[in-house]
Amino acid sequence: MTRDLAARLEVAGEVLWLLPQRVAYWERRRTLLLADAHWGKAAAFRAGGIPVPGGTTGEGLQRLTRAVEESGARRVFFLGDFLHARSGRAPATLYALQRWRERHPELELTLIRGNHDRAAGDPPPELGIACISEPLAEGPFLLAHHPTAAEGLYGLAGHVHPVVRLIGPARQRQRLTCFWFGPHGAILPAFGDFTGGGDLRPAPGDRVFVIAGRQVVEVGGGPI
Amino acid sequence: MTRVDPLVGADRWFASLGWRPFDYQREVWSAFRAGESGLVHAATGTGKTLAAWIGPLLEWMEETGGTTTPRRRGRAAAPPLRVLWITPLRALAADTAEALQRPLTDLEIPWTLETRTGDTPESVRARQRKRLPTALVTTPESLSLLLSREDSGLLFPELRLVVVDEWHELMGTKRGVLLELALARLRALQPELRTWGLSATIGNLDEAAETLLGAYTSRPWRIVRGVDPKEVVVDTLIPPTIDRFPWAGHLGTQMLPQVLEAIEEGQSAIVFTNTRSQTEIWYQAILAARPDWAGLIALHHGSLDRKTRDWVEEGLRRGTLRCVVATSSLDLGVDFSPVDRVIQVGSPKGIARLLQRAGRSGHRPGAVSRVTCVPTMALELIEVAAARDGIEAGAVESRLPVERPLDVLVQHLVTVALGGGFRPNEMLAEVRTTHAYADLRGDEWQWALDFITRGGAALQAYPEYSRVVERDGRFVVEDRQVARRHRMAIGTIVADAHITVQYLKGPRLGTVEESFIARLKPGDRFIFSGKPLEFVRVRDMKAWVRRAPSSKGAIPRWMGSRLPLSADLAALLRARLEEAARGVYRGAEMEAISPLLEIQARWSRIPRADQFLIERVRSREGHHLYFFPVEGRLVHEGMAALFAYRISRLRPITFTLAANDWGFELLSPEPAPLEEALEKGLLSPHDLLEDVPASLNATEMARRQFREIARVAGLVFAGYPGAPKSARQLQASSGLFFDVFQRYDPENLLLSQAHREVLERQLESSRLGRALERLSRAEVIVTEPRRTPPLAFPLLVDRTRERVSSESLGDRIRRMQLALEREAG
Repeated sequence: MTRDLAARLEVAGEVLWLLPQRVAYWERRRTLLLADAHWGKAAAFRAGGIPVPGGTTGEGLQRLTRAVEESGARRVFFLGDFLHARSGRAPATLYALQRWRERHPELELTLIRGNHDRAAGDPPPELGIACISEPLAEGPFLLAHHPTAAEGLYGLAGHVHPVVRLIGPARQRQRLTCFWFGPHGAILPAFGDFTGGGDLRPAPGDRVFVIAGRQVVEVGGGPI
Repeated sequence: MTRVDPLVGADRWFASLGWRPFDYQREVWSAFRAGESGLVHAATGTGKTLAAWIGPLLEWMEETGGTTTPRRRGRAAAPPLRVLWITPLRALAADTAEALQRPLTDLEIPWTLETRTGDTPESVRARQRKRLPTALVTTPESLSLLLSREDSGLLFPELRLVVVDEWHELMGTKRGVLLELALARLRALQPELRTWGLSATIGNLDEAAETLLGAYTSRPWRIVRGVDPKEVVVDTLIPPTIDRFPWAGHLGTQMLPQVLEAIEEGQSAIVFTNTRSQTEIWYQAILAARPDWAGLIALHHGSLDRKTRDWVEEGLRRGTLRCVVATSSLDLGVDFSPVDRVIQVGSPKGIARLLQRAGRSGHRPGAVSRVTCVPTMALELIEVAAARDGIEAGAVESRLPVERPLDVLVQHLVTVALGGGFRPNEMLAEVRTTHAYADLRGDEWQWALDFITRGGAALQAYPEYSRVVERDGRFVVEDRQVARRHRMAIGTIVADAHITVQYLKGPRLGTVEESFIARLKPGDRFIFSGKPLEFVRVRDMKAWVRRAPSSKGAIPRWMGSRLPLSADLAALLRARLEEAARGVYRGAEMEAISPLLEIQARWSRIPRADQFLIERVRSREGHHLYFFPVEGRLVHEGMAALFAYRISRLRPITFTLAANDWGFELLSPEPAPLEEALEKGLLSPHDLLEDVPASLNATEMARRQFREIARVAGLVFAGYPGAPKSARQLQASSGLFFDVFQRYDPENLLLSQAHREVLERQLESSRLGRALERLSRAEVIVTEPRRTPPLAFPLLVDRTRERVSSESLGDRIRRMQLALEREAG
């Protein structure tokens, strides 16, 4: 893993690496966590007569491959919204996912269903992805799609597609996709490339890590 | 019944009203009857409407032998569609129809006359689906909608005339291009069709006519000059004290007492402002100062509900209103004779605009048109003086036509594919008959076809895509969802998307830009339609509100129109500055502002026309560079990006940019290497072809311009009432589209259109080049004032900013912090 480009933090007694590929790596369990892949979103748009160029799926899979190879992960948890819409279950998209799976047969894949998964349906069984409903307790973490709190567990979720606004000297401004760590849980960035974001207003004490091009940088705030 | 020569009949009708036709009106009638098309330009209120309208009536009377009593009454007996009357604002449709109805009634012509706009009730639409009236008053969007009907090929067999009212307002906009395409379609369906445009006087009338007529300029056509405008007087309410006057008081109502006095001098006044938010603010301020005027003053802007606007216009016509506060929504349209006072709050920003607004007053015989300007910041005094110079010199701005916007073409092609379909070769020929697409290249045409059928360029077809399909050589729409979505969107495509504002338990108030509502959080307060409101939520494509207890802490924050200064006015402004630099202060406005300009001279310098002033100021915020080309905001935005880019090539640095009509600011955390940059050709007019696009890429300008393109080309779809939930899965922001195109289909022509539009229309790159030619010959003067001098002050407080950086994102981020809750702004 290109560790100088990733950010390391300890949360709930575990070490997490935040990678610029928009995924988190849980070191002790050798597990990648990612949310809101929205595979097939561009295809769903095309099927609806709205032209979106192809290539987003391929780019996403390359990014995922890189995260897997650099981290040495054995498992991947998808925290919801795996497929975007039923109309996005396009043959080309599913084929690309299938090819990717064939190149990574040893990976253990789990999907914790989100709101889009209900409408879009579970991934095809050939992908070998275990599909379960949220939430799932895993070590000290509570994995879910919608941000969920539980006594004694630290939540890891998606759904929000978090983005923060930064301000700098001489009236500089910047909006960036981020990882957000609050007192009871964290929100991961949307993994999909063709996804928007909602502005998040962190409270004092929250830790925020922005994806600044090829690196993850912590901004503002202090330790939790 | 005796046979009456139609012309004599028309004369008699005019005489019965105590009028006599103007010569120019008769000229238009006979030219029309001789088969000609053309353009009429005349001042507001001098009978342009009747000039265009009587011709087709005379023709009909002639053809039917002057029989003016129909054998059968009723809608079905009326002649089929003969005249289409296009109006730029749907708010004008009802008034226009009323004006057109009068001769029909008086001359007993059994035509049906109806309007069809976004406001038309469904029952009338249904009736019109069965049979169109003899004359239809409509907007460019509603005409497009008509062309998307599957039977559109059968609707126009008797169509003789299309009148385009206020053509100068449409020309130079994408709505104008949409209309050009619709006209080409109509001419293809009905080759004998004649087109007459009605226009205010503008600087390029020939071009205006050629744009309207397109290839039909090969047939007989003419420009008819109407009655000369009345004399225009421009005066100014001079603020009593200039030093306490806000330098950047966009909202300042400090001049309220003088404005009230001016309103009280007359019977009925229109107070024009430049933005909707200013309208709301002035309305509130006047009402607070004169509570007894409740019911006698009103508010008018394009976002208000139709009923409210109708009520206001009716009040103006009857003279029952003391005062109406309005935006450009009252610039156009029928006359309000009782209005005897026009007040312009803020800079008019253009000579033609000031003339047009002045013309709303003084319709009584012998009256002059008078407009009284109210500066909202000190520098506007000079802008008024310069605008008056322009009026006196008879200089009126030109409107430049739009060339080859592919987004509009794409939209029109889908419309025609819906309206019965098209064959590519015939369609290309038809499209090229318009002025906008006369030079459409073969590859652009092919790209547009590919875009609607395959989604992208031929070699990079988008899989699973379907919008328009080819069936036996015809391009048609088969998917009903695509059809429905396109029709729903046509009306809102070109204008910014609007959303209805409605009380939770009560009536609709009007519509507001979706982009404004998108920024509101539940509980936020804003003033709309003169009422303080609290935003509750958005549901079913409506913004639901409740009455707020007070207007405290709330103003509409939407931009409205940030009108740029016209090039002609900018030149006159520089001439006025040159005089001031020589110590000459001519006229009341210049005398009033002389103390401020003297401070400018003491702290820094007043630039002469052959000088280029640059001010370097240090503040807590950082290092400011102020440049004063005085070329208008559009040129300044481009020049700011260009200069920031050129300086940032010398060393890693990050600039934030602000621009207004007078100059622009580059702000950086560290001092910028200005002298080095000047030596290395900062002002050079060379290499613009490389440097300007590069500097553009460094800013977000193209990304923002893409908002409009994405909407017009049908990428972004806001949904519609009753849209199925699945429609929501097809919503994405234009910014997202821009990024995804940029990354995965960088050759996409919509992207290059965004760049071209920024270069040509926003930045007016040809003007930018000419301005640099001038500045590179000018004497550069760099001053280092300790405090921000008057010319620069409005830039200091401007909040709209662009950024240009040559530092890496990571380096920049390290100096930044989170925008935490409660951030000002």
